[in-house]
Formats: sequence, structure tokens, C-alpha cells
Amino acid sequence: MELAYSILVQPFADMVGAPDFLIQVVWEGLVSGVLYALIALGFVLIYKSSRIFNFAQGIMVVFAALTLVGLHERGVPALLALPLTLLVMLALAVAIERVVLRPLVNQPDIILFMATIGITLFLVGFGELIFGGENKRMITSELGIPTGSFEFEPFGGFVSIEQGDVTTVVGAIVLVVALLAFLNRSKMGRAIRALGDDHQAALSVGISLSTIWVLVWFIAGVIALATGIVWGARAGVSFALEVIAYKALPVLMLGGLESVTGAIVGGLMIGILEKLFEIYWGQPLLGGNTEAWFAYMLALLVLLFRPQGLFGEKIIERV
Amino acid sequence: MRALYKATLLSAVLAAAPLALPGAAQAEDSVVLPNLSYRTGPFAATGIPLMNGQRDYIAMINARDGGLNGVKLDYQECETGYDTAKGVECYEKLKSSSAVTQPWSTGITLQVLPKTNVDKIPLLAPGYGFSAMQDGKTFQWAYNPPASYWDGADMILKNISGGNLDSLKGKKIVLLHLDAPYGKEPIPLLENLGQKHGFTVVPIPVGVKEMQNQSAQWLQIRREKPDFVLMWGWGAMNAGAITEAVKTKYPMDQFVGIWWSGFDGDLKLVGDQGKGYRSISWSYPNSEAPVMKDIKKYVVDAGQSLINQAEGEFDSVFYQRGAMISMILVEGLRVAQDHFNTKVVSADQLRWGLENMKLDDARLKALGAEGMLPPFATTCADHTGHSGAWMLQWNGTKFEKSSDLLQADRGEIDGLVEKAAKDYAAANQPWPASECKM
Repeated sequence: MELAYSILVQPFADMVGAPDFLIQVVWEGLVSGVLYALIALGFVLIYKSSRIFNFAQGIMVVFAALTLVGLHERGVPALLALPLTLLVMLALAVAIERVVLRPLVNQPDIILFMATIGITLFLVGFGELIFGGENKRMITSELGIPTGSFEFEPFGGFVSIEQGDVTTVVGAIVLVVALLAFLNRSKMGRAIRALGDDHQAALSVGISLSTIWVLVWFIAGVIALATGIVWGARAGVSFALEVIAYKALPVLMLGGLESVTGAIVGGLMIGILEKLFEIYWGQPLLGGNTEAWFAYMLALLVLLFRPQGLFGEKIIERV
Repeated sequence: MRALYKATLLSAVLAAAPLALPGAAQAEDSVVLPNLSYRTGPFAATGIPLMNGQRDYIAMINARDGGLNGVKLDYQECETGYDTAKGVECYEKLKSSSAVTQPWSTGITLQVLPKTNVDKIPLLAPGYGFSAMQDGKTFQWAYNPPASYWDGADMILKNISGGNLDSLKGKKIVLLHLDAPYGKEPIPLLENLGQKHGFTVVPIPVGVKEMQNQSAQWLQIRREKPDFVLMWGWGAMNAGAITEAVKTKYPMDQFVGIWWSGFDGDLKLVGDQGKGYRSISWSYPNSEAPVMKDIKKYVVDAGQSLINQAEGEFDSVFYQRGAMISMILVEGLRVAQDHFNTKVVSADQLRWGLENMKLDDARLKALGAEGMLPPFATTCADHTGHSGAWMLQWNGTKFEKSSDLLQADRGEIDGLVEKAAKDYAAANQPWPASECKM
């Protein structure tokens, strides 16, 4: 009876008893969710256009952030380092297409997946060689990202919202809207979607596979840079950022590997729900650190009823 | 694919090449000193300065003295990425030529510990590993000088309580810890002391994937309203926690870390906002000490070091602690050389050396490290030595000593060590015991 009370009643009583704290929890969950969605978007874009599950997305976040900070350390002004980093990510996209993807056209998916593991190993060694493995400070203020916080006192309590987090949420929304507009309205965007739908048909109408692959890997690089800036602002830029890519896996399971909308909705759902579960159920009842597995449990639950994920395409194969 | 393979191979070779010391090829007149290091992965930022310090001390001995009494010290690194499985692989790969195992993670230590009785290679884990390794009668091949985590926890409590643990009665202490064997290590002692002195301990784990986004953990800290937060963090967890503490405006003078949570690089990320944060430490950096001047002269200025001079790594707590760790190891070798009247020390002889070290004030002065390491001595029965430690405090730009040398109370710790050692031996039967009559 006591257990049932602590599961079914106490958490909700706590939420009602301290609404300011609940607002803070939901806000922190929303910020985390936006960050998860950003990482997941990088995976989705590449999968949509090439059917490659890009294992290197995590290290691309590290590499982009390290390039930005590394250029600044070498005396390049922050606002110049930003476009230069984008150029480096473009060069990386071209190199990956030429050296890795092009020779592997028509190979089984697993070969391409293994190739992205190779890219990961290469970028780890190459990144360390150039930038070192030390933790570096993200150049947040130099990029004009505000610091400090907005503080409110709703319901007689206290809520603190970091200006940097607000910038993250707004920046992510702008990025996603721009991406959706690009995918849905531009010729190139439609070409990416066409490739995602049917490779052979897209090639037969003259869509260049090489150009599209460079483009999507570059966009994934841009997303990696945005992700690296906002995550790096939290605890510095180091190879530890690579592990955050794993946070995107349950988002992909939940939202579907091919759906941009799924990545966004899945990221936000997981961000908010895992935070609520951790604070109101996980820490009081299970000793905490439920964020390590909660998202996977949620994704598995969804997969039981919708194997293609919330927004994934239902594939019907005739035998 | 071939091009990618070549590039990957080249990158791996280039990254690994500088890690072995130049001119220290394995030979009959050398002693192999492997280090299960991590210069890559999520814990690299804190691993690199420590490994650099270890490497440079050995390089200095080779360059300045031509080795240890004419014997070249062959320092070799095997990259683990702080991954326990890779660490065990490294151990198996290197054990045939090793004089010592330096596991560099509590997880790897716990995996290798049962093998030490069979392979007969001493395991040296300065300031880390399983605290019960203090008991030399049970753990004949394992050493954790100069202080264990339980020593560290006791000294932190002593410092925050003003020397009287009873003054913590009714208070709440959060232990923010990495969700790994290392982070869980102080929990039994803290809980025992909490029961005895009437304070509450609330452990809050941080998973590896959550190290950089600890908002849930700090929301709980906000809800719990603890009187103190103790941190057993490592790698990116330290920087993540300190950033969140600043963000949530937790009073920095109530936030105290173990020695592995006192890295200059982490605090530099928050600068002035981290002012007041404390970390217990059994080492204290002094770039003007003769030993550090020699490292600078023979290794750094000679272009043989891997440190990042632009970031002030040479002056950092972790780099100089790495140097002290190698100094402890070399002292063990020296003691063994003298005792066995030999030059090339075997693993078995090094074991004797490690449990007969006497690093008193005079010896530390002779080594040029006076004030950098508290004096301590090991014995067959006591593999820790219990040097004590200083409390360091971040002043906005660097760590400074904020206490005299603190000492842990042995009563509670020794009882817990005895019980933990007995439990460990019982769970790993047959486990040999020593009477310490060597």
C-alpha cells in the first residue's frame, strides 16, 4: 500500500506542492529534449538520403566544436572561426564522400555502417593529434551567446532560466525550421527526399548521388557544430561530448529513423519525460540515474505497439 | 576503403608514436613500467595531464641520471579509454614483461586484483582503487599509497566539521558521484560515519552519458537542500558539476571534491565563479621545487614532453601529481635495488620495495619534492601509508592550500578495512593470506 502510494500519489502531490520546482524540471527537460533532437536530426538526415546509420555523428560533434575552439585558440576571431569551421565541415563532407562513400556505392548497408565506424576512429586520432585531448572552454561569450539568467518567482517559489538555454532553444527552433523549409521547398531538398524514397528512381531522373551525399553530410556537420556549441557551453569541449550521441539512439527508436518530425517530437518527449521520471520517481524510489535507461524503456514500449516508431514509415513487403 | 584504411592506420600510428619514451627500448638493463593510460575518450581531459606527469618524471630520471642506478626505466603506455575491458586486455598483453601494473581506474583495479596472486606482479594504484587494499596481509600484491578513498572521505568530513564530526549531527550531506566503482567507493564509510555521528548521507549518481548534462542531479540537490555536497567525480563529470553548481548558485564553500575532482582545467572553465570550491589533495604543486625544475630542464625544455605549455599544464595540480606518482614508483624500485643488491628489479623484488618505502621529510627533501607530498611509510601489513592530505581551495585562478596537513581517524576506517578485506577474501576463495613475517 505504501509502495503504491509512493508511486501513484506522492509524485503528483510533490508536483502540486511545489509548482515552481515542477516548472523548473519541465524547462530543464525541454532544453535537454531540444539538444537530443538536434543530435537525432544529424542521424535522420544521413539515413534518409543514403540509408547509412552514421555512427560518426557523435565524433562529428566533437570535431566541429574542437575545430571552432582550436581556431580561436590560434588567434582567429570567434566570428571568423565560425564560418571557417563550416568550411572545414564542408571539406570533411567532400572527403568522406570521395574517400569512403563513393567506392562503396551499392555495397550492403552493413558495409557502409562499418565505414562510419572507421570514420569515427580516424576522427578520434586525427582530432587528438591536432587539438589534443584537454578540456577546452567553449567560446560562448565571444560568439555573442548571452550568459546570466532570468529569475522568476511564480507561486511564491523560484524559477531560474539560463539565457544561454533560451538561446539554445531559439537557435534550435530556427535551425529546424530552416531545415524543414530547405527539405520541403528547395530543389536540393526535394532531391534529398527523392533519394530517400527511391535511389534508383532518383538517379534515373538525373539527381546526382555525389552532390546530395556531400550536401547531407555537410548539413549533418552544421548540426554537429550547433550541437557542439550548446553542449560544449555546459561542461567544456572534450572527447566526452562523443558519448552524447548515444542519447539520440532512443530518440531515433521512438521517432523513427527516417522522420525529421519524429526526431524533434521524440527528442522533446524523451527530454521532458526522462527528467520528470528521474526527479519524481527515479531518485526517490530507485536511487537515481534512471536517465541512463528510461529513454530506452520508453522507446521499447512504443516499439511494442508501433515497430516503425511514432513517425516512421510502415514498410509492407509482399512475399 | 583502402585510402580510409591507410589514413586510419597513419592517424593511429601518429597518435601512439610519442607515448613511449625515446631511447628506452626494452633491454636487459631496463625495467618495464607499463601504464594503463587513457588519453582518449570521455575521461581524457583529466587523464592526459596525469599521464604526462608520470611520463616526464621517468624521462627526467633517464635523462638526468642515465636511469635508476644505471638501469633504464622503460615507460610504456597502453590506451584503455578508461574502459575496464580494454584495461584487462592491456594487462594481459603486457604482463609477461611488466614489473608493475598501474591500472588507473578502480574498475580495472577490481578486475586485475584477483590475478595479482597468480601473476605475481605488484599493482600500484596511488590514491585510488579499492580502499581495503590497505590490508597487506590480504592484498599481498596491491598498493594504494599515500592515502585511500576512505582516508579522503574521513579527512573531508573532518575539515568541514571543524575537526568534530559530532557537529555534523542533523546535517544533510550529498555525495555526487560517478556511477562507477570509483564513485561508489566512499559510500560504506560515509554511511557508517553518518550513523555514528547523526548526519544523513544522500548518494546521487551521475552516469557517464549524463556527465555533461547534470541538470537532474542538481535539481535534486536543489530539492534536498544539503548542507554540503561532496564530489567523487572524474573526467567531464567534474567540469559538468562545477558548471551546474555555478548555474544553480550552490554556495561554492560548501562544495568539496576528492583529489580527482580538483583539476585546474575544470575550474578554469568557470574562473571566478568557482571561487571557494575545495578539493582534498595528497599532493601540492610547486614548480620551483628542485624535482620540477629538473623535469623542466631535462624534459620540457629539451622538447621531450607532451604537455600543453600554453595552457599552463606544467603548473597544474594533476601534472605535478602525476610526477609524484612516478616518484613513488621509482622510490619503490630504488628501495628494492638497495635491499636485493641488484640493478634490474624483478616484479617480486619491486613488491618488497613498495611495502618498505619510507618517504620521510629528509627523503622527500633529498628527492627535491619537499612540501609536494606529505611524508608516509608503507609496511608489509599497511599498503597505504596514510600520508594525510591538505585541503586546497580555488581562488579564481589556481588552487591554494587552505588547511594544515589533515589526518584521517583510523578507528572507523581500520574496522571497515578489516571487514571488507575479510569479505573479499571469502568471496574469492581460495585466497592466500600472509602473516607479514618477511
